[in-house]
Amino acid sequence: MATDKVTLTDALSNVDVLDELTLPDEQPCIEAQPCSILYQADFDTNFEDRNGFVTGIAKYIEEATVHASLNELLEEGQVHAVMLYTWRCCSRAIPQPKSNEQPNRVEIYEKTVEVLGPEVNKLLQFMYFQRKAIERFCGEVKRLCHAEKRKDFVSEAYLLTLGKFINMFAVLDELKNMKSSVKNDYSSYRRAAQFLKVMADSHTLQESQNLSMFLATQNKIRDTVKENLEKIPAYEELLSDVVNLCVQMFESKMYLTPSEKHMLVKVMGFGLFLMDNELCNINKLDQKKKLNLGKIDRIFKNLEVVPLFGDMQIAPFNYIKRSKHFEPGRWPLSSSPQISPQADLMVHLPQIREDHVKYISELARYSNEVTTTYKETRTDTENKDTAELALRGLQLLSEWTSVVTELYSWKLLHPTDHHQNKECPVEAEEYERATRYNYTDEEKFALIEVIAMIKGLQVLMARMETVFTDTIRRNIYAELQDFVQLTLREPLRKAIKNKRDLIRSILVSVRETCADWQRGVEPSADPALKGKKDPDVGFGIKVPRRNVGPSSTQLYMVRTMLESLIADKSGGKRTLRKDIDGQYLMQIDQFHKTSFFWSYLLGFNQSLQQCCDLSQLWYREFYLEMTMARRIQKCTVKHQHNEECSDLITMEKRIQFPIEMSMPWILTDHILKTKEPSMMEYVLYPLDLYNDSAHYALTVFRKQFLYDEVEAEVNLCFDQFVYKLSEQIFAHYKQLASSILLDKRFRVECVAMGTYLILYPRANRYETLLKQRHVQLLGRSVDLNKLITQRVNADMLKSLELAIAKFEGGDITGIVELEGIMQVNRLCHKLLSKHLALDEFDAMFREANHNVLAPYGRITLHVFWELNYDFLPNYCYNAATNRFVKCRGISFTQPVQRDKPPQMGHQYLWGSKQLNLAYTTIYGQYTGFVGAPHFRTMCKMLGYQGIAVVMEELLKIVKSLIQGNLLQFAKTLMEAMPRQCKLPRYDYGSPGVLGYYHAQLNDIVQYPDAKTELFHNFRELGNTILFCLLMEQALSQEEVCDLLHAAPFQNILPRPFTKEGEKTESKQKRLEAKYAALQIVPNIERYGTAKQVVIARDGDLLTRERLCCGLSIFEVVLSRLRGMLDDPVWVGPPPQNGVMNIDECTEFHRLWSALQFVYCIPVGETEFTVEELFGEGLHWAGCTMIVLLGQQRRFEALDFCYHILRVQRVDSKDDNVKGIHLKRMVDRIRRFQVLNSQIFATLNKYLKANDTDASAVEHVRCFPPPVHPSHPSSHYYRPDQTGSR
Amino acid sequence: MGGPKEGVQKQIQQDWANREYIEVITGSIKKITDFLNSFDMSCRSRLAILNEKLTTLERRIEYLEARVTKGETLS
Repeated sequence: MATDKVTLTDALSNVDVLDELTLPDEQPCIEAQPCSILYQADFDTNFEDRNGFVTGIAKYIEEATVHASLNELLEEGQVHAVMLYTWRCCSRAIPQPKSNEQPNRVEIYEKTVEVLGPEVNKLLQFMYFQRKAIERFCGEVKRLCHAEKRKDFVSEAYLLTLGKFINMFAVLDELKNMKSSVKNDYSSYRRAAQFLKVMADSHTLQESQNLSMFLATQNKIRDTVKENLEKIPAYEELLSDVVNLCVQMFESKMYLTPSEKHMLVKVMGFGLFLMDNELCNINKLDQKKKLNLGKIDRIFKNLEVVPLFGDMQIAPFNYIKRSKHFEPGRWPLSSSPQISPQADLMVHLPQIREDHVKYISELARYSNEVTTTYKETRTDTENKDTAELALRGLQLLSEWTSVVTELYSWKLLHPTDHHQNKECPVEAEEYERATRYNYTDEEKFALIEVIAMIKGLQVLMARMETVFTDTIRRNIYAELQDFVQLTLREPLRKAIKNKRDLIRSILVSVRETCADWQRGVEPSADPALKGKKDPDVGFGIKVPRRNVGPSSTQLYMVRTMLESLIADKSGGKRTLRKDIDGQYLMQIDQFHKTSFFWSYLLGFNQSLQQCCDLSQLWYREFYLEMTMARRIQKCTVKHQHNEECSDLITMEKRIQFPIEMSMPWILTDHILKTKEPSMMEYVLYPLDLYNDSAHYALTVFRKQFLYDEVEAEVNLCFDQFVYKLSEQIFAHYKQLASSILLDKRFRVECVAMGTYLILYPRANRYETLLKQRHVQLLGRSVDLNKLITQRVNADMLKSLELAIAKFEGGDITGIVELEGIMQVNRLCHKLLSKHLALDEFDAMFREANHNVLAPYGRITLHVFWELNYDFLPNYCYNAATNRFVKCRGISFTQPVQRDKPPQMGHQYLWGSKQLNLAYTTIYGQYTGFVGAPHFRTMCKMLGYQGIAVVMEELLKIVKSLIQGNLLQFAKTLMEAMPRQCKLPRYDYGSPGVLGYYHAQLNDIVQYPDAKTELFHNFRELGNTILFCLLMEQALSQEEVCDLLHAAPFQNILPRPFTKEGEKTESKQKRLEAKYAALQIVPNIERYGTAKQVVIARDGDLLTRERLCCGLSIFEVVLSRLRGMLDDPVWVGPPPQNGVMNIDECTEFHRLWSALQFVYCIPVGETEFTVEELFGEGLHWAGCTMIVLLGQQRRFEALDFCYHILRVQRVDSKDDNVKGIHLKRMVDRIRRFQVLNSQIFATLNKYLKANDTDASAVEHVRCFPPPVHPSHPSSHYYRPDQTGSR
Repeated sequence: MGGPKEGVQKQIQQDWANREYIEVITGSIKKITDFLNSFDMSCRSRLAILNEKLTTLERRIEYLEARVTKGETLS
């Protein structure tokens, strides 16, 4: 294997093949450039290869050497700047010896020296460095300002490097001034070192003294630079060149990254400050037109605050104001109250938006073109356009990044307070006044938008990087070679002809430095080289094409040499410009301008990253230092503060600011808080700021602790983010489900009445977020979908649990609402399941219902509990409404104690406050009664198993009731019954009959517990019977619906309509064929396994025959009840006449007749009737028992009340018998008679169905009806027919 | 003058050629990097979906096990 050689072409084609592999990634890209591997090739040699270009002008090769070393110094300066900015106070963490007597103080000091030693060494190095740098800088300035040298041309690159030095001094000085912890740490060290006498020799002592002075003196670097410069004659001229170059570059946008832009501004400010002194007055230079202060004034106004590092900034106007000859008149904008445009993001926004849309459309068009059409090589123009497109993209990104960072810096320098921002509390600390409360909602949205544009475009451009870099290199190569080999021919010919030797040598140098001749050497026959004209046919030079740009040194050489040709300033000496024709000058000038950006384009990757770097939005070393990392809390007690006010200022130790003050989180949280749909898809972009910051901490600051802090904050924020987001998503979908299911007419009427408006939740773009399966955060890949799924799953379960808990906190009527909530939850689950892999709803429901392991769920148990403790004893049935209502009169049981319904967030119930209100109102309708809807929902919620267990348990209760209390009462009351009670003759008249029965039954009427306890027990029995009956009815309805739904799958089709002449059968056949695909059993028979076939057939059979065999719950209930009535007291001894008892009161129906007599007696106005107190359950209980005991006919024939009714019908008398109003009593009897008949009829329907008629007939013994001789048969009244009248 | 000058010119040309070669290699490495990055994304995406499916199945089995165990303890 190792010996296998792969040729270059093979290797390259292997790489190309990679493109053809499809790598699907379903998720929409809404995050910043995700890359696990970052590959950057850096070809900047820092002039290391300068000696290779021997053909270049020696002076510029020398200059390159200087550049190289100056660049190294600048880099070192950057390291020191970073060191200063990221300095954290160490001395505060080190214990200080309290007194000289402290025994371990030597140890403390030793440790102090040990710990601080390396840090102090850095400071020492810093001091040496600034000395060296100042010396070097001033040396360069001195060299360039030498009277002879002044006449010479100084290149732009050189001036710019000097500018960078000025910038470095300004930055270092500013950082040194701001960092007091550096000084504190050093003095701690010094104290310890002096005590330990570490610094023994005088040199070290002196250095220590110097360092101490260096650190303690404010503006030390600045002043030293200035002091040294002032010794150089005419240095201000060079500096004004530097400043002018900066102005010119700033104005013509000759910079790319934001930091370069800021550098130019800082150089202007600091440069002017350095120039202004006793001898030199910048105002005079302005007058002499050597400077243009007006221009600079405007630039400074546009950028009042220049970002430095993180939360540090420099105000360039301050340099001007501190300079010696400051004249406010010359700087009108410096004191103008007008606010700098950098403070207002909103002014920039429309332009940014427009640029963004324009650019990305152009990019998209281009990107499509590149990916869809394959071209071996593109034309030079195409390459040029693409390279320009790339440059424009970089410039836009840089511009937007500048806008963001400049706004941020301005805000830091202009914190708000409680006067300007009402939301800002009085005691808000510095940093939160600068960040948290310093942005309006609008500004936050704008910031998010701009950040999103930056990050979004960065992704797009990075994706096209290979295409871009390829075309950029080809374009630059082509332009460079064309220019050098072709364009320069003409001025060269001219120079040779006119014997301008200097120009000729420069031009030749340029050509030799970078020309890549077709044949390896310059065509010696070229007439231009001899200053001669081309032949008429032209002199053909074929310029080759390559995919490579010039090296950094090469580019520098070419540009600098060309610049020397076109420079219009070279200190009094005659410029070379004058010897070159205008058209060539313009070409050279154009080339010089275009090629400025080549170095950026060649380092496309780095440039792109630098243009989009927003890392500084997180760094807050300055504020941490300023607040000493402590939270300052002022005494908040409202009183006259005095010295005893010990908590006037309390310090809370803290090493970082909370996330609420951190920009990335402020922006992220703003989206989450406002739930703004148009911003939702941007939510990952502000989080990406942490990536920037962490990257900066690792690559530029190179500080572990900063990275750790970023990481810690990210951990915290991301948890918060996921928590808030999933809560929001759950609430959103809950509201959506609730809104969908909310009664439409109810909604319309609410709107019409203007009571409350229930809006559909605003559509939001959570789907995009839910598709995110790999979000890159600090090098980790986070499956956002999974995290949200976990939380939403938990929320869903909690929602179900709380719904059940709410049901458990209320009475049986709550079952309807419970079902409603479950429906909403089910829909919510369905909607969410499109995006999230939630557990199955049924599984969740069972879990919430505690019904996974236990056979019966919480709902079933509570239903039973409610039935037992509330429904059976307290509700009264009314057949007219088919409802139970709660008895409003006397309660015979203890009031029911329930758990308090739990407190819960709106999202766990119906979604929102308004929806909760609406649904509570709707379901409030169901709370006053128990009726058909309740039974229907109970059927659904309990299921067969639940219904079975509830009924079983109810029967147990009934059993104890019948065989306990009721039996006891029956036994007692049977004692009180008259032995015999006849049906008095009609001759007595109805008042007489009533009087007779009243006398006979007096003991029963007077029995105290009859109308209370006894009736109550009967009601409980009756309610149970009714419950079972109504449940069965509801269940049957459900089953019928089921069956109907199942029909099409079982080949049960409705009979088709047939016209005349059509055959029903053939039509039926066609229909069957049409729906054959739906039929389960035949299909499974065909495609399934044998086992599946058996299951399918069984299921089909079960569905088909569930109702056919007429299984009836109620029938079983009745037969079970019959079994419970086994005590002899219910039937009494067998009749003495061997046929039936007539006057004897031994059977239960006689007792019931007596009780019926009792409850038929009309009550006074203020008393409760039995109907009110017990409802019809009472009658159901009595009648059921009578029927089950087989005493229905005897009851109907012999009942006391019925007899009164019969007699009264005949004589129609009215009277008051012993306080009983006859007519009213009769009316009541009549009513109950009807009721009893209905009950009997219903019961018999169920009981008779079971009777096999044949066997019943066999057992009938026929007796001839006994006819009393005194009563003609025509008067015979048959009570069993009354029900049907 | 011809000799050394031509030599330099040839060297410059050689330099261009060498750097082009380097660029080609660099570009290819960049392409490989891009490929690896998108491969990474794609894999993560697909693994996440697989993970989701497995998690769902696991939870489902857990639930079914609990349901089945109920039957056993009852009988």
